[in-house]
Amino acid sequence: MRSTGPARAILHVDMDAFYASIEQRDDPTLKGKPVIVGGTAGRGVVAAASYEVRKFGVHSAMPMSTALRLCPHAVCITPRMQHYQSISAQIFSIFREFTPVVEGLSLDEAFLDVTASQALHGDAVHIARAIKARIWQATHLTASVGVAHNKLVAKIASDLNKPDGLTVVTPETTRAILDPLSVRRLPGLGRKTGARVEELGIHTFAELRRAPDAVLWPVFGRYTHRVRERASGIDDRPVVADLEEKSISAEDTFSTDIADPARLQSELARLADLACARLRRKALVAGCVTVKIRRHDFTTFTRQRRISPPTNDTRALGSVARELLALWLAGNPGVRIRLLGVGVTHLSDADQLDLFRSGPPRAASALDGTLDAIRQKFGARALTRAGNLEDLAD
Amino acid sequence: MKLTATREDILSPLQSVIGVVERRQTMPVLANVLLSARDERLSITGTDLEVELMATSTVSVQSGGDITVPGRKLLDIFKALPEKTSVTLSTEGDRVSLRAGRSRFTLSSLSATEFPLVDEINAQQTLTVAQGEFRRLIDKTHFSMAQQDVRYYLNGMLLETEGKSLRAVATDGHRLALCETELAERAKSPQQVIVPRKGVLELQRILGTEGNLELAVGTNHVRAQVGNVRFTSKLIDGRFPEYGRVIPTNPSKVLEADRDALRHALQRTAILSNEKYRGIRLMLRPDLLTLQAHNPEQEEAEDQIEVSYKGDELEVGFNVNYLLEALAAIDSEKVEIGLTDANSSCLIRTPGATAARYVVMPMRL
Repeated sequence: MRSTGPARAILHVDMDAFYASIEQRDDPTLKGKPVIVGGTAGRGVVAAASYEVRKFGVHSAMPMSTALRLCPHAVCITPRMQHYQSISAQIFSIFREFTPVVEGLSLDEAFLDVTASQALHGDAVHIARAIKARIWQATHLTASVGVAHNKLVAKIASDLNKPDGLTVVTPETTRAILDPLSVRRLPGLGRKTGARVEELGIHTFAELRRAPDAVLWPVFGRYTHRVRERASGIDDRPVVADLEEKSISAEDTFSTDIADPARLQSELARLADLACARLRRKALVAGCVTVKIRRHDFTTFTRQRRISPPTNDTRALGSVARELLALWLAGNPGVRIRLLGVGVTHLSDADQLDLFRSGPPRAASALDGTLDAIRQKFGARALTRAGNLEDLAD
Repeated sequence: MKLTATREDILSPLQSVIGVVERRQTMPVLANVLLSARDERLSITGTDLEVELMATSTVSVQSGGDITVPGRKLLDIFKALPEKTSVTLSTEGDRVSLRAGRSRFTLSSLSATEFPLVDEINAQQTLTVAQGEFRRLIDKTHFSMAQQDVRYYLNGMLLETEGKSLRAVATDGHRLALCETELAERAKSPQQVIVPRKGVLELQRILGTEGNLELAVGTNHVRAQVGNVRFTSKLIDGRFPEYGRVIPTNPSKVLEADRDALRHALQRTAILSNEKYRGIRLMLRPDLLTLQAHNPEQEEAEDQIEVSYKGDELEVGFNVNYLLEALAAIDSEKVEIGLTDANSSCLIRTPGATAARYVVMPMRL
């Protein structure tokens, strides 16, 4: 069933050549030069390419060796992830000044649902301008923003006028703007599928939209209807806010999607263990557990449950997470999962003493304490619970 | 099944049982209520598998039978009908039809055989206690029950018989409430059962103040008839902690205060306590109690009241909500608080009394 609520206002904010722009900003001698950020070792790939180097056909995820063949005079820089992460956090906190509904896609890209923010901050276009200005003011970096009524169109829009762009697409102009675009711009359409579609003589959104079922079915199967909707700019996926800021979480995108419940549970146990160890390191206890599940088609679900009394015990928090995932899996059997996350919220450090236990709750259980100590000394993978054994098999 | 009744004959029992009928159920039949009609009587039953409520009323039964229908929808329909309307309810195939004046409704139904009823509870003994007294036990302790605690045996209330006394104990691990009353006659044998939280709250809702309550206690269930409502609850299968061990027997620092003066001072100070942890600092000096709170915004509150106290100075932190709830349950003008040190529990009660006792663990501030 399609939601029929009031029109939504969705922003897709995409930082322009994020890592490369940061390097150029930090080292003025790199300004205007072709800069590639990425691994320089044998199988290194391009993590980011400045606009100067893109002209040579270099793009991210390309093997570094290929990139250097295309542009031999490019300056190669090893990524400084921690630095990028802290700037990203700064930018995301700007997003949250305008709306709590922020769904991060990566360090440099996010969807914002500003539908409810318009009363306070002015219309969506106004908010988009304000966000661009705030980012520039705070970081001296530029972002391209797409403003639309859904995620799909917003994402396509942000890519239309890069860098430093602001593209607004309304429901009325959607078709006119989308129709002439290359199908390659349809998010989620990989390179291989894109090529297959083009072999069918379908090159634009309009052609994809009008293509008969008989033509599309062999390529897209039961997703045919979905693909045609997307080509028409129809998308009612909600913006799923990231786990609260006041949370500690661990999440992981799998290298290949996982459908096996046992493997998923083992991945989840590993993430719960990680989140709990972080909790203990900060001497906090949590009163709520959230499990985040992203399906292969990027639809994202969260399930949460309160836990009382608040704790940082891996077994207690992990078993709640396990139950939440099991419940979700029971309702969605066989679904391929792309990402799992475990978050803990309702954090507190207040030491309420317990009638039946000695000592405050911050004292982690003896087992957790020992595990933490061993990992501190010998590394994160030195010791694990049998339930997480999957990660030893990697 | 076919019966005729006024709106009120059905609405009133329906309202009595609807509390246990949840909207979203994993088992569809649990969203339904069971209607059983025979001998000019209609009984309506709702259950969540833990607590079962059955309410009866007198109606005109043309043909007896049993059927289940969606509980919330039935309630909404009866609430929306004009007062005193005459209603005819009958089964038609696998549907239930309802006629009232010119209104007509057809509801889906599920077979009565699918409805999980608790038949016999195999009572080991039946306790007789004044209804008002039993209600007092619940009123004075229920707020200390845990909620969704992993220590599942705390998510309910301990009922304990010993000779002629009936004792209710509730604790969430941070504080504990205990209240005792006299049974009409000696209990056959000492017994300890834990009634789940939901059962306690439903029972509290239906209990009146007049007459006696007969509480049948089995190994897995308790059951009681209150007016036209029969209450049945599962028992929590677990061991309640040895609560006697955590009640201070001889606290070294005992103060006496005016209950209302203390409550008001706590309420005032609490305004600027941390909204989440509700921590408040008590500083005790001979005949003077100072209360202090501050929050993450660095706002501060301080208050003082005169108390009667002769011991050493002491500084101790508490969750102010726990203190306020205990004080609210005490109905005497004066209150006695027994303390030991900043890491030990305190005992709150009417000076010298033992029938109702409250224990609160401190917070480290």
